[in-house]
Amino acid sequence: MIFGLEFPPIENLVEWPNLFGPTDSWYGFNKIALINLVALVGTSVLFLVAGRQKTLEPATNAPKGSRNLVESAVAFIRDGIITETIGPEGLRYLPFLASLFFFILITNIFEVIPFFHMPGNARMAGPAVLALLTWVYFIAVGIKHQGLKYFWNSVAPPGVPKALLPLVVPIELLSTFIVRPFSLAVRLFANMLAGHILLVTFTVLCITLWGASLLLAVLPFSFLMLVGLTGFEIMVAFLQAYIFTILASVYIGSSMHAEH
Amino acid sequence: MLASILVLANQAVNEADNLLGQAAGDAKTVKNPILPTVNEMFWAAIFFIALWALMKFVLLPRITKVMDGRTDKVRDDLAAAEAAETERVAKLEQYEAGLAGARAEAVAILEASRAEGDAERRTQIAAAEADVAAARAEAASEIADAKARARSELTGSITDIAVGAAEAVIQKPLDRAAQGRIVEDYVNAAGQN
Repeated sequence: MIFGLEFPPIENLVEWPNLFGPTDSWYGFNKIALINLVALVGTSVLFLVAGRQKTLEPATNAPKGSRNLVESAVAFIRDGIITETIGPEGLRYLPFLASLFFFILITNIFEVIPFFHMPGNARMAGPAVLALLTWVYFIAVGIKHQGLKYFWNSVAPPGVPKALLPLVVPIELLSTFIVRPFSLAVRLFANMLAGHILLVTFTVLCITLWGASLLLAVLPFSFLMLVGLTGFEIMVAFLQAYIFTILASVYIGSSMHAEH
Repeated sequence: MLASILVLANQAVNEADNLLGQAAGDAKTVKNPILPTVNEMFWAAIFFIALWALMKFVLLPRITKVMDGRTDKVRDDLAAAEAAETERVAKLEQYEAGLAGARAEAVAILEASRAEGDAERRTQIAAAEADVAAARAEAASEIADAKARARSELTGSITDIAVGAAEAVIQKPLDRAAQGRIVEDYVNAAGQN
């Protein structure tokens, strides 16, 4: 009970019972797993439908409908993220980065989808897995391009005076191999969890005000705030997908060349 | 009384035990909602890796193939447009060169025609002037002849009249030849005045 509001405990907002599988089992399938599955199936269906969609005119080959949407998104990732942060040689990482973008965007957008109202990334598991995979991926890219010297080049960038190495090496070690995955995961998780709690707060407020006759006059303001925040969360869902993807792209790009 | 106190105490102890047991159980089941759970990580990893594999081998190639085809087509069309533009510029230069040649040729023809016309005009003017001079000389000759003829006729008539009048006054014949020379001299002197 907070200021007369019956606010549910935090675990009631983010923890979901298993749809199948025993409680606390490693394969228990709950609402978050369902959202992740929908992200997989939804993205696949969207791309498959777009792939089968005929172009507008055979002569111009111009896209339309779902193909237009998917091509715009792919072009955004290719030209707006990869080319800008890595360059043309980074286009080979398009599948990984496009998967990140669509997976995060769709799992985030479930925050405002009726009957779900839960962003998949408001649980730490999803962001942690994606951050760990990104971490492994950019280290693998570094080893592929620079060999084992990648680790030394990462913590001691070329051109740094030797006298500064005792200071630079621990900082770079911490920032490159520990802070990067941690910040990736926490940024996404914290933003989505905060948005989710915000929407729940205003929803609970609306419900409570509906039952309180004296405070009914405040209800429209609370409801408008809820509607505004819903729109805001749609933007946040996209923004967080973009930020995660562009940071992953920056990390991959920095692993490709020692001077980074 | 004591019995009821003992019963109440027993109940209180039992309730306390129950509460303690419940609290201990809750402590076992309460989890930190911020920490990731294994099952959610498992499914997230499975579904993301599946999406990544699908994206790499099935989903993206269908899209990027068309996009690359379109990019190639745009590049080819641009190259064709640039070639057409180069050809247009070359043809324009060729046309302008031809036009300049034709213009120079026209100017040369015009100048030649003008020179030829001038020469022809001068020739014709000279010929006309010669014709006019000849006509003028012929006219002057004819005038002189007519004047001489008129003077001769006039001299003869005046001589005849004067000699006839003088012979009628003096009642004797005069030397017509001598009188005629006098009259002729007089007419010539009068004609000069």
